[in-house]
Amino acid sequence: MSGVGPVEPGEGTHVQDAPPAPLPQRGPLAGHFERHRRVVLGALITSAVLAGSGYLYVTRPRPEPPPAPPYPNQVTDIAYLRPGTTSSNTASRGFTFEVEVITESGPPVTVTRISQPYAGLSVTSSPRTPFRTKAGSPRKITVTLRVTECGNVPRNAGLPFLDVTLRNTRAIQVHSFILGPQYAQDLSRALQVACSNKFG
Amino acid sequence: MRQRSLIAITAALAAGALTLTACGSRDEDGGGSSDSGNGGTTVVIGVDAPLTGDLSALGLGIKNSVDLAAKTANKEKFVEGVTFKIEALDDQAQPSSGQQNASTLVADKDVLGVVGPLNSSVAESMQRVFNDAKLVQVSPANTGPSLSQGQDWQTSKKRPYESYFRTSTTDAIQGPFAAQYLYNDSKKRKVFVIDDKKTYGAGLAGTFTAEFKKLGGKVVGTEHINPDAKDFSAVATKVKSSGADVVYYGGEYPQAGPLSKQIKAAGSKVPLVGGDGIYDPTFISLAGKGSDGDLATSVGVPLDQLDSAKKFTADYKAAGYKEDFAAYGGYSYDAAWSIIEAVKKVVDANDGKLPDDARAKVVEAMSGVSFDGVTGKVSYDEFGDTTNKQLTVYAVKNGAWEPVKSGTYTG
Repeated sequence: MSGVGPVEPGEGTHVQDAPPAPLPQRGPLAGHFERHRRVVLGALITSAVLAGSGYLYVTRPRPEPPPAPPYPNQVTDIAYLRPGTTSSNTASRGFTFEVEVITESGPPVTVTRISQPYAGLSVTSSPRTPFRTKAGSPRKITVTLRVTECGNVPRNAGLPFLDVTLRNTRAIQVHSFILGPQYAQDLSRALQVACSNKFG
Repeated sequence: MRQRSLIAITAALAAGALTLTACGSRDEDGGGSSDSGNGGTTVVIGVDAPLTGDLSALGLGIKNSVDLAAKTANKEKFVEGVTFKIEALDDQAQPSSGQQNASTLVADKDVLGVVGPLNSSVAESMQRVFNDAKLVQVSPANTGPSLSQGQDWQTSKKRPYESYFRTSTTDAIQGPFAAQYLYNDSKKRKVFVIDDKKTYGAGLAGTFTAEFKKLGGKVVGTEHINPDAKDFSAVATKVKSSGADVVYYGGEYPQAGPLSKQIKAAGSKVPLVGGDGIYDPTFISLAGKGSDGDLATSVGVPLDQLDSAKKFTADYKAAGYKEDFAAYGGYSYDAAWSIIEAVKKVVDANDGKLPDDARAKVVEAMSGVSFDGVTGKVSYDEFGDTTNKQLTVYAVKNGAWEPVKSGTYTG
């Protein structure tokens, strides 16, 4: 055999033990940590728990704020019912009719004003404005139009309307209610009678 | 060992932090952002609108809003086992293109409903095609009364097509509403009436004129313009010499804008008033600074007055559509959702599957559809017209449309 093998310890010799590795040098911070290990760990855990608790608190599920009530013109309906009973005096100078005011949902709606756009007519209601309507409790209202100037009344309007001011806790709005062909016919007929001598 | 302790503590803290983060996100996404649908059956909602050309601002708003409705239905798994898709076709505001598109949509057996079109004249060319195929059509924008109430709608209403529905109100109300506002609120007495000779424009001018005359107003001139023309100087001169205190135009904004500008340039400082066809910001940019004081009526009430529209507005923005939803976005979403509701009724009534005659069943189901939509309560009367008949007058103020007065037809 040839070659050089590993040198083996001979008799009376022994393998020297390697000197023990020197301990790593610890910096002042490590030394400080070593001295206050429990305190530092405690502080870290406390901080984590506090941070976690704070995060959970901030992001906790909260009840939705109650939705704002609807705009009054989106929940109020005014429907024409029929011509009303009128005194002979009113019949000769105007038109009385009944409408139903309906609040479909949300808080009560107050009708603060009923008007109409024609220069030759004035309007009153019973009950007088302001009056309230609650959801689920429609109210019948009697409206009277009086002719003040026959030259400025809608003799044959196709879609006459009432302007109604509505108020609830959300807003106050003026909204036009176009009461439909039956109202138009009845109004036209009444005005023809009231101003019969004026129309040519 | 000490090092191992440190590593363990660090890992525990990191894990804790990750857990907390995970807890924090529990409400943000209910798991799965997929709109890939519910698998199973695919139902296509067709869209027909002008996607190119002068009226594309309105048409693209229609298309995007229908797309949003379909995606919302898929995300909510609103109809179990059904995935909705849209197929949008461009009619370029031309009746012939609309009719061709109608035939294309009818030929696709997956199409169970169509939203559109924008123009009443285009609708006229499509109605019979859809009706023969028993395919439901819901327009978000047509206002011509005869589409749903027949040619003799003023004397004898008769529904011509059972498959036709709409979410916008009609010119039977819009024209008189404008007349009442101009005569009573604006105190106008002499009107010059112009229209573009098309179904919508001429019809609207007609209903306006009739009411304005009934109220005691005078029509001091009438003219018809060619929708392809750009030079309206001859008409503008006639308006000035007529002594009119207001101009009413039945037509759409591509012509109304230049018309308003040229009328003012001719020296007649009177407002131009039109219907929903001119209610678009493009009208103002075409008409220029002189358009302050011009007026338009449009269907519905402003969306910012509707709590029901807030989610739609937010979802539309989040969806990242490039174009605005424009005047008919809410009505288009409601039109599409009507079809989705009808499909749901049909599927639910047939053990969770679409029947063989699904199109006919969807048409039948439409008349019973009722839900709280973007524009309010959505349902249809015996003519297929919306039961929600609201209108608003808008005025141009400082270069933008602002609402002036809203009304509801309750007859």
